[in-house]
Amino acid sequence: MPYSFFCTIGHAQNDSIVSTKTDSLKYKESYGLRLGGDLGKLIRSFIDDEYKGFEINADYRLTKKWYVAGEIGVEEKDTDNDYLNATTQGSYFKAGVDYNAYENWYGMENMIYGGFRVGASTFSQTLNSYGVYAQDQYWSPQLTSNESQKFSGLSALWGEFIVGLKVEVLNNLYLGLNAQFKYLISQDQPDNFENLYIPGFQKTYDSGGFGFGYGYSISYLIPFYKKNK
Amino acid sequence: MKKIIALLVLCFTVGSCEKDDICSETTETTPKIHIAFYDITLPSENTPKNVNRLRVTGVGDSDPGVVSSYDGSKAQKEVYLPLKTTENSTQFILHKGYKIDENDTVLGNPDTITISYVRKEVYVSRACGYKTIFENVVISVEDDGNKWIQLAQSVNDNQTVEHEDDIHYKIYH
Repeated sequence: MPYSFFCTIGHAQNDSIVSTKTDSLKYKESYGLRLGGDLGKLIRSFIDDEYKGFEINADYRLTKKWYVAGEIGVEEKDTDNDYLNATTQGSYFKAGVDYNAYENWYGMENMIYGGFRVGASTFSQTLNSYGVYAQDQYWSPQLTSNESQKFSGLSALWGEFIVGLKVEVLNNLYLGLNAQFKYLISQDQPDNFENLYIPGFQKTYDSGGFGFGYGYSISYLIPFYKKNK
Repeated sequence: MKKIIALLVLCFTVGSCEKDDICSETTETTPKIHIAFYDITLPSENTPKNVNRLRVTGVGDSDPGVVSSYDGSKAQKEVYLPLKTTENSTQFILHKGYKIDENDTVLGNPDTITISYVRKEVYVSRACGYKTIFENVVISVEDDGNKWIQLAQSVNDNQTVEHEDDIHYKIYH
């Protein structure tokens, strides 16, 4: 009994010495799940009468440079101009990878990254009112309709490139911003109308399938393990 | 690093600047009805025949006045008339040989036509909204005992007014 006790102490001492040495030579980086939300969408929901939305984002570190990443969210957006008033409402998710292109200094774990996502959305679009356009205004006003028409069960699929930064502002707490460049792969168009907005994709353009987006995120890293840099 | 930040700023600018879409004049929106005038003496040959000094006015609750470009000063071989998008028929007075003499007497021969149709609203674009197209278009001429319009005939059965370039109706006189 006394012998074994002595032995244990001896081992413990050895371990602590070895690990201290390693720490002083190599910094260990955190690996884990980073979870967060989009601050920009939240703030816009309060200040923009025509918008309500929220997004939860997450990434999981696979290797030194690569992360799997994804977003899930809901959006409601009004489109209003002289001839149309419509409301789009729905949810979306995006999944893909991010590549951290930033060489961190000792002890830092920030990201400047580029990535790719595949996005999908299911949504409905309600045409609240519309007007008839006629260049000739001899008979005016032209017809306007306030009969609401709802187009449900619409969906869209797109791909996007994303670039952004994530900066650790407090221990494991990150602030980020990113910009997204999107291209629509397919969509269901409502009969005798069109998708003016797609949740997650944002505004559609007459000129083609391109779209743009941006995000301001706050996220927290739940560290699972540490690994040498 | 600086380049990446510059790129980010650029992307944000592009993304947040949503250009105001304006309905361009070249977009085909609500069409007018296109009526051409032909000679009644040879109805099978469709020989164009001008209508001298044609003046066109719409018939409405508050007098809409003369349809611009048909003020009675010129001969016309065809007319483009706007149709009401709020009702299922539109009336016009086609006044041939319009002239006011020195005694303020209006000369010429006015004929009243009624254009009846079924309206259909068709989506155009986010900037232009919808356009109205007209189906089953029928023109009838009011019999005032002195009609200069001898025959009004649609080009097709169940005539549709959708593209202005196509002639929709033929008036023989």
